[in-house]
Amino acid sequence: MNRPSTDISASSPPSFEVTDLYKSFDGETMVNDGISLRVEPGEVYGLLGPNGAGKTTLVKQIIGLLKPDSGSITLGGYDLVADPSHARQLCSLLPQAAMPIESFKSREAVDLAGQIRGGDRRGVRTRRRELFAALDLDEWSDTLGTNLSGGVRRLVGFVMTIVRPGPLVILDEPTNDVDPLRRRLLWEQIRRLGDTGAAVILVTHNVLEAEKSVDRLAIVDAGRIVAAGTPSSLKAGDRGHLRLQLMMTPGRPVPELPDFVESETLVGHTLATVVSERRTTDGIQWAQSLIDGGVAEEYALGATSLEDVYVRLTGHESVSV
Amino acid sequence: MVEWDLTRMRLVLPGLVLVQVFTSIGLVLGVSLLYEYIAPRQALYLGTGAVAISMVMVGVVTGPQMIAEQRLSGSADWLASLPVPRSASAAAATVFNVIVALPGAVAALLAAWIRFDVGLSISPQLVPAVLLVLVCGSLIGYAYAHLLGDAKIVALVAQVLVFIVVGFSPMAYPPENLPGWLATAHTFLPFVHMANVTREGLTQGLAENVALSYLVLAAWTIVAAAGATWALGRRP
Repeated sequence: MNRPSTDISASSPPSFEVTDLYKSFDGETMVNDGISLRVEPGEVYGLLGPNGAGKTTLVKQIIGLLKPDSGSITLGGYDLVADPSHARQLCSLLPQAAMPIESFKSREAVDLAGQIRGGDRRGVRTRRRELFAALDLDEWSDTLGTNLSGGVRRLVGFVMTIVRPGPLVILDEPTNDVDPLRRRLLWEQIRRLGDTGAAVILVTHNVLEAEKSVDRLAIVDAGRIVAAGTPSSLKAGDRGHLRLQLMMTPGRPVPELPDFVESETLVGHTLATVVSERRTTDGIQWAQSLIDGGVAEEYALGATSLEDVYVRLTGHESVSV
Repeated sequence: MVEWDLTRMRLVLPGLVLVQVFTSIGLVLGVSLLYEYIAPRQALYLGTGAVAISMVMVGVVTGPQMIAEQRLSGSADWLASLPVPRSASAAAATVFNVIVALPGAVAALLAAWIRFDVGLSISPQLVPAVLLVLVCGSLIGYAYAHLLGDAKIVALVAQVLVFIVVGFSPMAYPPENLPGWLATAHTFLPFVHMANVTREGLTQGLAENVALSYLVLAAWTIVAAAGATWALGRRP
């Protein structure tokens, strides 16, 4: 088979597809339990799920560090399970762990990473300058990695990953440690990355941010995809509903729920419930009575979001902004 | 990839070289403190052996410790995801080891020369000998670090190897000083042969069976390269 091109502009970008992927480590516990997904070129695809859901295991199989028990992973005509060297050519990874750039000036790390990925020196340098300007990183261009804050280092790692992206870009928790202002710039660049034709897989448990940036997403829990679709389609079931969230008093038992509460999830001391818009008044009265009785400390009423779907499906809170 | 590895290590490189230089000098001077008198032949053994030990230690101890550190920091996965042949990563590690090891080897030689006034006879054979010792040692270290995988076990093996190489390998003393069975075992291990080919490039008439030593080292180099290739290619 020919050596694949690492340049997404070289030919029509390929689709990425995972089919019936199974992976266990001890032969018993399935870490990936029949995962199937498809990401089109130009699409930003969110992979959401709590810690231990099997997201990183899936990523490691995509880039050829782990071998599936069964199932296929393909990118265009390339079988990434059969030939992991193709995976290294075609996939650009921003790992969850920090990039090893302590000894590098930010610009050196990006330029070398771009060249290792097959970019020419001048082209990589030009693109690095554009990305540093877009992410407001210019002032750290000559700073050694060891002197960078965690957030800036994360952003430099992001630029290293996309300065010369392959047809598939995998970003594992790209916003970790990044300040809110640059987070917005980062999301903008992730969006633009999709616009260049790359298929982007975004691994995160920050549901609120992902909701605004992904085209489609899958919610993964215990090794399985428990829901998949566009953010709007996943929230469709919650239309005409509101989120009533109660902060329960520590040490007090959770009270019996009234019949108008349509779903509930308890995470720590936070009881997230969904109620119909028509029963809002009943909900507020119920919440107030719990506070008066000392069972709850406060409540909040708001629009349902993708996070409600996420919490309901996984029983975990997502990371807040 | 070599440029990446050298840049990656440039902050620690001066420190590593310095430690290597002091360790090499310390080995020559420290061992000589154990004896009131060291005969010229013993001094020559010690001095040339220290040069080889200094080179071996970088390959089988320092190199694997660096790889273990990469695993612990989580950066190994990213490095493994880069679109470079596995051989490029091994070559980069070897070049790095050569740069770290050479100043220490020269320091050991100078220390022996100044301390014992040994009569050295440096021949052109020293060049292939040093290269083979460094490449063989680096590949052995690279292979076992990737074969074992677990960073803690790699660190432990590296510590044990320090003990074996410095104390129980006839590199700085003749094999006759060891019990017979251990001397026999060393004919199959690479360490004594590394000292032998180095010695041949530095002295006249002290090294024996040099052809056999080259053969054994070539075999170890091939086995280590095959082991590293297998370890890097496997996917659990």
